[in-house]
Amino acid sequence: MNPLFNDDFQEFPLKRALAQVMSKREAGAKVIGAYCSYAPVEVVWAMGGVPAVLCAFSNAPIAKAEETLPVNLCPLIKSSFGFIELKTCPFFELTDAVVGETTCDGKKKMFELIQEHRPLYVMDLPQCPTNEGAVAYWRHSINGFKKFLEETFATTISDAAIEESIRECNRKNRLVEGIFAFGACKPAVITWQEMYAVATYAMSAQGSDAITQLEGIIATLTTRQEQKQFTSPEGAKRVLITGCPVGGDVLKVLRLVDEEGAAIVGLDSCTGLKPYANVTEEGSGDPLLAIAKRYLKIPCACMTPNTGRFEVLKQQVESLKPDLVIDLVLQSCHTYNVEAVKVESYVREDLGTNYLKVVTDFSQQDLGQLKTRIAAALEMN
Amino acid sequence: MLITIISIVIIDFINLTLLSRPANNSSPHKPTDHFPFGSAGVPIKLAGIDIGSRSIEFVILDSETTEIIDRFQAETSIDLSKQLGLIRERYDWGHLVSTGYGRQLAQKVLGGDVITEIKAYTTSAHHFHPTIDTVIDLGGQDTKALSINRSSGQLHKFEMNDKCSAGTGKFFEMMAGSLGLSLDELVAEALRGSKSVEINSTCTVFAESEVISLLTSGVALADIARAIHEALLTKLVSLLSRVIRSDSGEILFVGGGAKNRAMVQLLAEALNRQVIVPPHPDFYGAYGAAIHAIKSV
Ligand code: SF4
Ligand code: SF4
Repeated sequence: MNPLFNDDFQEFPLKRALAQVMSKREAGAKVIGAYCSYAPVEVVWAMGGVPAVLCAFSNAPIAKAEETLPVNLCPLIKSSFGFIELKTCPFFELTDAVVGETTCDGKKKMFELIQEHRPLYVMDLPQCPTNEGAVAYWRHSINGFKKFLEETFATTISDAAIEESIRECNRKNRLVEGIFAFGACKPAVITWQEMYAVATYAMSAQGSDAITQLEGIIATLTTRQEQKQFTSPEGAKRVLITGCPVGGDVLKVLRLVDEEGAAIVGLDSCTGLKPYANVTEEGSGDPLLAIAKRYLKIPCACMTPNTGRFEVLKQQVESLKPDLVIDLVLQSCHTYNVEAVKVESYVREDLGTNYLKVVTDFSQQDLGQLKTRIAAALEMN
Repeated sequence: MLITIISIVIIDFINLTLLSRPANNSSPHKPTDHFPFGSAGVPIKLAGIDIGSRSIEFVILDSETTEIIDRFQAETSIDLSKQLGLIRERYDWGHLVSTGYGRQLAQKVLGGDVITEIKAYTTSAHHFHPTIDTVIDLGGQDTKALSINRSSGQLHKFEMNDKCSAGTGKFFEMMAGSLGLSLDELVAEALRGSKSVEINSTCTVFAESEVISLLTSGVALADIARAIHEALLTKLVSLLSRVIRSDSGEILFVGGGAKNRAMVQLLAEALNRQVIVPPHPDFYGAYGAAIHAIKSV
């Protein structure tokens, strides 16, 4: 079976992303660090910059972070902050500026603590996306971010350049969606490790190279499908992962699913399909408004109401046909944890699919219990 | 205040320390099914082993009658492989299923299949109590609440405590220790005590300091013992309330914690439901494993 990427980073998607960011930086691109799927990367690309994801999933810097931050805070925030304190996050070290959004409380207050390190812009994100004026206000925030970039880097970002990057992002995002759609194959032809690698790659890739790479991946997957090269045994239980972003040490949960012989067929979170879903309108005459509309459709639990989450779950469950939906909640992430109440009843009652909520952090101490929970949920039905 | 009439069945406490104490105990209930014979028409010995982080339970059933032919309970040894090796030398069986945290290692040493404790409890609960749909298991290191479909016996939903020892049997041991009591003495005190004070934490570290400050302020030992039970009760009730249905009737209480009479009584009062404690409640994991072994016969 051919791998999806033909490079030296087979098992190391983050190293691949780092190499992408470094080569663009060497070619003169400004690196804009981002903490969230709401960062409007079209504006960054339009400036000739490159976005780099700063969300960290390693347990290692958490002890350092806890010297400053409260212990009962989301591990993603602690890990990201700890890396900055230790100056050991290679992505952060490469950034020229950082953009944040007012999503959850922990993150937005953490931004205040890192602002002396880099030029930082915090975008005010409306949290009731369907209320009147929300889109206009978000457009206003995006325009503020554009002006921040123009001032910080003494440049101008034209509407035409933004239009062009909207087109390129749309094209790229459709290909990423196309790759994730292979999750519907039964038995599976794509692993979660590969989906995760694609999602990580596409964040810092753009232009013809990216298109060629992603089209190549689709060709590889098509071959696997035609030649019946399966990545999981026939009859393996199928799992959809939803909830908080995952990566690094919290991939332990996904590995436990592998250990039980089940196949993960979908990653619905921000380190999966979520940042690539939805289309930005092209040629609208107001590219910032088009961007604002598309981004406000991101179904994040920070939003209320977050109806999009349920629409996406319905589509994913219908196309991927999972036996189990695992809602992965990071400890102290109140938005996803509380939303899980509705997600559970929707998945069980409306979609008729088994559901398991897992609350965890980046440590390894709950492995035994997680294994029992996941195995027990997979033993059902 | 509603006063519920509670029927509590607690029979037969078992010695916790022996590795092998063959006993011809009979099955706790009349079998509800007829079990298959081996291929030659001879009943097969079905073994179930439940390896928890604190204790091991082992049973051998007769596949025909589901009578318990043999059983023992022992503390989980640090050298688990060796302990399992001894079991392999001393017992023989037609088929074995392992469950509990040590199930993977048990499979390596003893062979057979593995199932999770959750499946094991579901299997034994439905087998012996087909009319009950809600089960709580209070173990040494974790606590589980199960909702079972009464007609199919399938698990409908389960909940487990968070990762630390808060909300588990271990909590009682630690608290008894800080009061200088044995576990039995703590339970006896709690049954005498009244609800005069609260302990807010089930984190053993915080609860210990609460207990000590109550002691030094002169609160009666019995009331403190009661408060310790109430603290854990809150956890059990919150787990159960996530699985219980409006038409659920009796609650089956299993696991080592079900031997705690004070806990059983408080749980029944809090839920306003009958709480059934079967004989040998701590063997339900092993029973479930052994009954599951029938599928492999
Ligand atoms: S989950 Fe929400 S806050 Fe977190 S990265 Fe995704 S969109 Fe941003
Ligand atoms: S996982 Fe939750 S708490 Fe953590 S950064 Fe994302 S939204 Fe905030």
